[in-house]
Amino acid sequence: MDAPKIISRRALLRGVGVAGAAAVAAPAGLLVSTSDAGAAPAAAQTSAGAAAGRQVYQHLTASEAELLEAMVDRLIPADALGPGAKDAGVLTYIDRALGSALASSRAAYTAGLAALDRYASASRGQGFLALNARDRDSVLMDVESGTVTPGIFTGNSTQFFSMVLGHTRQGMFGDPFYGGNKDFIGWDLLRYPGVRTTVTAADQKSLEADQLKPNHRSAYDNEMFVKATARNDAHDQDHNGDGHGH
Amino acid sequence: MRSLLTAAGSAVVMCASLAASPLFAQTAPQTITVTSPTLVAGQTMPKQHTPDGRNDSPALSWSNVPAGTKEFIVICEDPEAGNPPPFVHWVIYKIPGSAKGLPEALPIDTATPMPAGLEGAVQGLNGFRRPVYRGPAPPPGNPHPYHFVVYALDTALAAPKAGVPAMGRAELLEAMKGHVLGQGELVAMYGRNRTQ
Repeated sequence: MDAPKIISRRALLRGVGVAGAAAVAAPAGLLVSTSDAGAAPAAAQTSAGAAAGRQVYQHLTASEAELLEAMVDRLIPADALGPGAKDAGVLTYIDRALGSALASSRAAYTAGLAALDRYASASRGQGFLALNARDRDSVLMDVESGTVTPGIFTGNSTQFFSMVLGHTRQGMFGDPFYGGNKDFIGWDLLRYPGVRTTVTAADQKSLEADQLKPNHRSAYDNEMFVKATARNDAHDQDHNGDGHGH
Repeated sequence: MRSLLTAAGSAVVMCASLAASPLFAQTAPQTITVTSPTLVAGQTMPKQHTPDGRNDSPALSWSNVPAGTKEFIVICEDPEAGNPPPFVHWVIYKIPGSAKGLPEALPIDTATPMPAGLEGAVQGLNGFRRPVYRGPAPPPGNPHPYHFVVYALDTALAAPKAGVPAMGRAELLEAMKGHVLGQGELVAMYGRNRTQ
């Protein structure tokens, strides 16, 4: 059996190869940290969220979105280092991408999220949303390692976990243009100074001194990048029912 | 070995022949008696200690501890899995010499402190490269034996340095060489069907 990756915030930062991030103190935890392990079950939190008005997604159903949000919230939780995947709009990124570049993953999300909830109920006696942070992490560790009870996931639960983790990283650290990395949360976490088409000598000096302030600009704020057209095309195709990944 | 353990059927298994098994990389006498409120030697483990349940670590108790014990180590391993075997399900070391056992459901993250009486104890890396207990999940087929081995040491091992992963089984066996005063184990079984 292959050993799965340990996913710590530190490892996650290393994975995206950003200098300076490793200097950030980080708990070497499970799916990152469970310092809020005693937090109230999210069912109560989501009730409050519903009262305030839940975000409507284009492709994920309401129940899928709720489960996926709870999952990505454990993959990159908010902690002392800053906001997490939920705050960064990772769900918006995934939802939007499921209608375009990640359309081929749509069925895997439907099946995987349903299996995740079935597994939580079968093993922990409650659906995933009713579990506290510790138990959610415990469930996700078993999903990641592929040790879940046979017959619950179609295929290997590790594949589902890896898919969601990969997309969560994309939504957290990709260009905000694609719907995630809201308010540059992901880039600020990495202390990424932003996309720059020119770097002055003074900028370089500041960068080397780790003092270059982030410019908080999407790559597509530069006129030389015109991918906005591609997004619009993808939306049009999707509305016509013939959208596909690219 | 499975039939031998099953046939034993007693609350505690202290089989001298096992001392020669690769499981026992240490040659100290098996003097320690290991028991558990939920595990019975040779019998099926309850689901609560597996991914088919809550996957919480079991409570363990030990007695007949050698004089001069400074620290304990507990390792749970399956000699019928892993490449190479055994597959390691749990490693915990730097357990204070005053400890009489471990409570159920130890933390599954490093941010949560150890329970009272276990201050300083460190969960090492298991076969999944995680510093936590992850219970039996054998492939469908015959039940596998899960050895909960307790070692008593005459020394205090070094705590992991900040930012450095805790030790795994192989490093621990190396670190404890020449320091094992005694050992003991409790062996329980677990098997799975294609669909539970």
